[in-house]
Amino acid sequence: MEELRNSSLLVIILDTNPIWWGQNITETGSSVCLSQCLNSLMVFANSHLMLSHYNKLAVIAAHTNKSCFLYPLPKPPTAGNTTTVNDNDTTEGGEENAVKIPQMGENDGKYELFTEFNENLKTEIKDLILNDRLVGELYSDSLVAGAMSMAMQLDIHRIEKEAPIGENVSSRILVIKGSEDNAAQYMNFMNAVFTAQKQNTVIDACILDNDSGLLQQACDITGGMYLKIPQISGLLQYLLWVFLPDPIMRPKLTLPPKVQVDYRAACFCHRNLIDVGYVCSVCLSIFCAFNPICSTCQTTFKFMGPPKILKKKSKKSAG
Amino acid sequence: MVNVTKGVLVECDPAMKQFLLHLDEKNALGRKFVIQDLDDTHLFISSDIIEILQTRIDDLMDKLSFPLAEK
Amino acid sequence: MAAAFTPRKLDCKDLHSYLKTLPSPVLDRLYNHPATCLAVFRELPDLGRQYVMRTLFVEQPVSQAVIGQWVNNKFINDHRYACKALTELRVWYEQPIPGGQPGWVLNQTFRNNTRVALLGGGKPWIGGRSTTVDKYAKDILFLDKYAQERWECVLHFMVGSSEGIEGVSRDIIEVLNNSGLMRVDATDPNPTITPAGFQFLLMDTASQVWYFMLQYLETVEHRGMDLVECLSFLFQLSFSTLGQDYTTDGMSESQLKFLQHLREFGLVYQRKRKSQRYYPTCLAINLASGLSNVSTGQEKTGFIIVETNYRVYAYTDSPLKIALLAIFCDMLYRFPTMVVCNLSRTSVREALIRGITAEQILNFLRSHAHPKMLADTPVLPPTITDQVRLWELERDRLKFNDGVLYSQFNSQADYELLSDYAKDLGVLVWENATKRVMVVTKSGHDDVKKFWKRQKNS
Repeated sequence: MEELRNSSLLVIILDTNPIWWGQNITETGSSVCLSQCLNSLMVFANSHLMLSHYNKLAVIAAHTNKSCFLYPLPKPPTAGNTTTVNDNDTTEGGEENAVKIPQMGENDGKYELFTEFNENLKTEIKDLILNDRLVGELYSDSLVAGAMSMAMQLDIHRIEKEAPIGENVSSRILVIKGSEDNAAQYMNFMNAVFTAQKQNTVIDACILDNDSGLLQQACDITGGMYLKIPQISGLLQYLLWVFLPDPIMRPKLTLPPKVQVDYRAACFCHRNLIDVGYVCSVCLSIFCAFNPICSTCQTTFKFMGPPKILKKKSKKSAG
Repeated sequence: MVNVTKGVLVECDPAMKQFLLHLDEKNALGRKFVIQDLDDTHLFISSDIIEILQTRIDDLMDKLSFPLAEK
Repeated sequence: MAAAFTPRKLDCKDLHSYLKTLPSPVLDRLYNHPATCLAVFRELPDLGRQYVMRTLFVEQPVSQAVIGQWVNNKFINDHRYACKALTELRVWYEQPIPGGQPGWVLNQTFRNNTRVALLGGGKPWIGGRSTTVDKYAKDILFLDKYAQERWECVLHFMVGSSEGIEGVSRDIIEVLNNSGLMRVDATDPNPTITPAGFQFLLMDTASQVWYFMLQYLETVEHRGMDLVECLSFLFQLSFSTLGQDYTTDGMSESQLKFLQHLREFGLVYQRKRKSQRYYPTCLAINLASGLSNVSTGQEKTGFIIVETNYRVYAYTDSPLKIALLAIFCDMLYRFPTMVVCNLSRTSVREALIRGITAEQILNFLRSHAHPKMLADTPVLPPTITDQVRLWELERDRLKFNDGVLYSQFNSQADYELLSDYAKDLGVLVWENATKRVMVVTKSGHDDVKKFWKRQKNS
């Protein structure tokens, strides 16, 4: 019988929050900037495409005020716009992941598909960053939940349904994130995670800086890998070792053990992470303080007061 | 004392073996050819009959098969 | 004896088994091209690919014990298989790590060129994209149609239909004859199809092209062309973009010659023989994907409906497809756009006698099934699949083994002595201790007889 073809769809969500990336350089003195991270990401993405002819890829940027596809593009790329991002990273030539990416049309032996993908990615990132200054207010968190919803939409509706008969698409989402969690996204985020679980989509997380409770939960629920990398400069090797094998391969390999998951939920009223709280008996919304009317489903909680012991006693005596 | 006979070992399903025994008994191939009936799935037959057997067995199977499709 | 009745099964090697047959210096030279490395990389077992990725940026040998620990113990067999494949293809070789323990190190040429494919920074691929715009630019639809037409010419030629024969060149005929797919009879100047050829016809296009190219590659050196250059060019083609034109600049003499042959087979499109640009077609590009497992596929829409009453309806007017169906069906009616035929015991048996397997027939029906049929699971009615398989099994209900029967032993001791001896030699095919009867193979008979005589004398 013919074998089932396994194709693997990888959606990479990259946190492009300018505040975090800026702070990362100025405060921690880390030498790793976004473009280096991008280089690692491109090599990783190329490797994923290289693994199999049928592998598919998408990259989504989770920016501070919007999420957008970097690859594949919803619109055709602007023609002639082939100048590269100002590569200030290639000067540190000692590192393996600091590799110069050629310009489109320059043929240096790289597989065409990779060149095309890398060029598109760079153009899009540049557009994203250059158009960014129009926005007045900046937030220190990124719209990861929105990006995840976009990823779900892509892999459920476009890729899995379009897959030819006999092709088995396994999809996963890799979130590369540095900025902090935002509890305000809790509900959207969890909705996306449960959708992912239902669709058998695995969520992986590669954390650059602060541990993310939300992503820990997401990875735990969907059976993905959660890894906070100790050294950003070695990003590429972490990606290649831990995140390159697809979920089907993973049981075969020895990979880092699962982390302890912080399963605290955020309350629906103030978006605080809480250990103990109130739960609406109708819609299961969580609140940090008692409220007689559920703000989600408008249920009124009637209190009967403590059971009337006296009445019972009198009944007993009567009977 | 040992008796040594050259021939061909036939391995087949029990139904087919009965069919061969039947052919042998009825002299359908012109003569007897089974040397020894070994067990349910094995027969030992003379080697010179193989060619005739292989050409005839298809015809004989044809006679046994029922045409499936309506014309 | 029984073998005379079953023609050899068409052995379609995948890339891995093909490369294994090449001597190691040839392999090393092949790895000089990024495209080959890519193709070979994709052919590796899953684990092997992970190993390569993990060691790609590690310049020194890695201890075998360490690599062994990368794998979960339960999958140790997969690990061994992956290591064997990597060693066989010379992707890595053994080298002791400092301290003397055995280690593995990636083949330097392979490492460098895989990196080039992945990261760039190497020499451009031969040819490369055209820098100028083609005023006769062709779109993908045209290329698909062209490739299909060219390839069908070859198939038409094989089934002996008169259509498109003029498109088949001497080179193609030569390959077909050499590969045993067709045969030249003394009586007929035109070659006729062999049983192997029939099996070839029922394969899907990607496997056909791959098989054909393998056969062609075997003749490459006789034509005075360089195998390594041709192979690397072929791999490069399979990694190019459909609908993109490439230039012939910088191609060597034998590669240009190779290109002309590929043009004849329909793997590339070139407007004129002297044209400086060419377009790879889907046939060439699918080579990379169809290399290992025979994938069903790029046939756009199916046209066959199989009913449980063994009736087959084929909505086609292509004489080639009808000829293919006629290999294992009885033709009943023919209409302008469809044919009706029957799967019968006789027709299927005729195909089986030609060496076509039941699985090939079913696969053909399945992969060309009409969209209406694809909606059902299973695609083919189970009665049909079972019956076709039964018809195949029916043909080998008898298994013949030449042998010698030993019977009428005087004592159990004699019997055991002889049967144990035969068992040790591995020539015992059947025995029954209670009846004291045993059968040894014909080749083993002499030894057993001598042994018996020695025993009797002593």
